[in-house]
Amino acid sequence: MSVSSGSTGASGTGGGAYICRYCRLPSDAQAVNCPNCGAPVDVSAVVSGSGWVEQPPVRDMARIQFGRSRCQVAGTLVPSVDFALAADEGVYFSHHTLLWTGAGTNLEAWSKGSFFNRMYAGMPLVLMRASGPGQVALSGDRPGEVVGLPIPPGRAFLVREHAFLAASDAVGYTWQPAPVWLQVQDGDSSEYEYPLGQYVDVFVAEGDRPGLLLLHCPGNLFVRDLAPGQSVLVQPGGLVYTDASVGYSLHLEYPASQGLSWRSYNYRTMWLRLAGPGRVAVRSVFERPERYANIVASSGGTQQRW
Amino acid sequence: MMERLECQWCHAQNPEGSRSCEHCGAPLATAALVSDSGWREAPRLRDMVRFQFSNSTCQVEGELVPVAEVDLSAGDSVIFEHHAMLWKDESVPVGVYPLGGGLKRSLAGMPYVVTQASGPGRVALSRDAPGEVVTLLLHPSMEVDVREHAFLVASHTVRYSFERVKGLANVVHGGSGMYLDRFVTSGEPGIVLLHGYGNVFERTLGPGEKILVEPGGYLYKDSSVTMTARQLNLRTGLLHRGMYMAEMTGPGRVGIQSMYHHHVSE
Repeated sequence: MSVSSGSTGASGTGGGAYICRYCRLPSDAQAVNCPNCGAPVDVSAVVSGSGWVEQPPVRDMARIQFGRSRCQVAGTLVPSVDFALAADEGVYFSHHTLLWTGAGTNLEAWSKGSFFNRMYAGMPLVLMRASGPGQVALSGDRPGEVVGLPIPPGRAFLVREHAFLAASDAVGYTWQPAPVWLQVQDGDSSEYEYPLGQYVDVFVAEGDRPGLLLLHCPGNLFVRDLAPGQSVLVQPGGLVYTDASVGYSLHLEYPASQGLSWRSYNYRTMWLRLAGPGRVAVRSVFERPERYANIVASSGGTQQRW
Repeated sequence: MMERLECQWCHAQNPEGSRSCEHCGAPLATAALVSDSGWREAPRLRDMVRFQFSNSTCQVEGELVPVAEVDLSAGDSVIFEHHAMLWKDESVPVGVYPLGGGLKRSLAGMPYVVTQASGPGRVALSRDAPGEVVTLLLHPSMEVDVREHAFLVASHTVRYSFERVKGLANVVHGGSGMYLDRFVTSGEPGIVLLHGYGNVFERTLGPGEKILVEPGGYLYKDSSVTMTARQLNLRTGLLHRGMYMAEMTGPGRVGIQSMYHHHVSE
C-alpha cells in the first residue's frame, strides 16, 4: 500500500466548525485528542493511494467523554479502557473483556434474547452492564487498537461479531443473520458456512441521545467511504464495521488455471463485496477463510474465472 | 556535589545525564503515565537498554515480544523456566534449581524444572506473545507473588518458591492456577523480570483498600496484598457458572496485564 500524508493537517474543517475526520462529529480543533472518539486531532491524515484512511491509534491516556461519564484509553499494545461512570449512567460489555472493577461499582447481567441461537453461533450469551457511580476497565485479548465510534441519534453500524468492546446506555444493541452464507456439500452431507460469522451485531443510537460504541480491532484499522454504486472486494475476515447502508455480497474469483480444473476450489479466492454508499472499515489482521469445497447454494453473489 | 536522578519506577539513584535507569532500565526524564483511576503504566523499556544487577548486566531487545539477554559474570547466576530460553552460549552451564513439591507442580501444569544458568557467559530469554518486560527490583527482605508462567528470569540473590493459593474457592474458581510464584530476598537485593502480556499497569493500594481484578489479568502483587476469590452476584453461561473476580486488599502494589494469554502446560 502506497501511503502518503494528506495535506489537510489538523483542520478537517469545511470552513466552519472543526469536524473530526474520524468520527465525523463537530469537535474541538484546539484539543490534542477528539473528545468524542479519542482520535488525535493534531496529525495529518494518512491516506493510501487507493483511498483507505489509516485510523490513527488513540493516544495513550486519551479521554473520551460520553454523557456525564468518560473513559480513558491506556496502553498501546493491547489498550485497556478505564471508565469513570457518572451516577445513573452505564456501559454494557461482554463479561470476558472485564479487566478490573472498583469494589463498589454495580455490575449486573444483561441478558439478550435468542439464547440458543447465540450459543450455537458462539457469541456471548450474557452481557454485563456496569452502572455508575463507579469505575470499570475492559480490554481485548489481541494486540491492536481501540476504536471509538460515537453514534448520532438514529444512526446505525453493522459490526462483525466479537469486535464489540463496550457501548453506552444510549446505544441499542441487536443482531441479525449475517448477510452472506454458503451451503457446501461434502459427500452425502451438506452444511451451512458463514464467512462473516452467523450473525452481525447492529448498534443504533436510540432516542434523541448520541451514544458511544467502542470496538477492539486486532492489528491496524483502515476506513474508506464508498460512493453510491462504488464497490470494493475485501477479505471476509478483515471486515470490522460498515454503515448500515452498505450492501454485502459474495464474489468468487478463479485465477487462470491453464486448463486445469481439478479441485479448482483450492486456488479460488472468496471475497466479500461491499457496495456503497457508506463507510467501511477493515483491519490488517484477519482469519484465513476456510476452503469450502463444493458450494451448492449461497446468499447470492458473482464469480470471475480468469 | 553531583546531581542524582531518581528512577520513578524503582526509585534507585542514577547519575545526572542518564537516559535510562542503571538498575531497572526504565526511561528517565519521562513523565509517568497514570490513568485517572490511579493505574500507572509500567515503563516501556527502550530497545537495547542495559541495566546492572550484581556484577552482571541485562539488555532488553525488541519491542513486540522483547528478549532479555543476560550477560553473566563469574559467580553470578540466574533462574528461569526452561522453555523461556531463547539461546545461550555453549559454555554456560545450566542446572536444575532445587525445588520441592515437583509432583504437585507437575500436576498443576507448572514447569517441573526451574533452570539455573551460571556465569561467565550469556543466556537470552523470551516468552511467546506480544507484551512487555517488567523489571521488579527487590530490596532486601521483600516478597512478591507472581502469576504462573509470567516470570522471565530472576537473579540468584532471589529465593524462588511457589505458593499454593489459599482457599478452596480460589483454587477451584479463581482461574489463576493453583500456585503463585513467590520471590523473596533476604540480605541482598535482587531483580525479577516478568513478561506481561499486552500492557502492564500497577497500582498501590492503601491499607484495607480493595479492588476486583479479573484473574486472567492479575500479574503480580506484593505479598502484603491479600488475594481472595469473590463471586459476583450474576451468572454467565448455559450452566449458570458464577463469575469470580480476584479481590485484592492492600496495603501494597498490584500489577495487571491487559491481555490474558492461555498457556499450554509444559
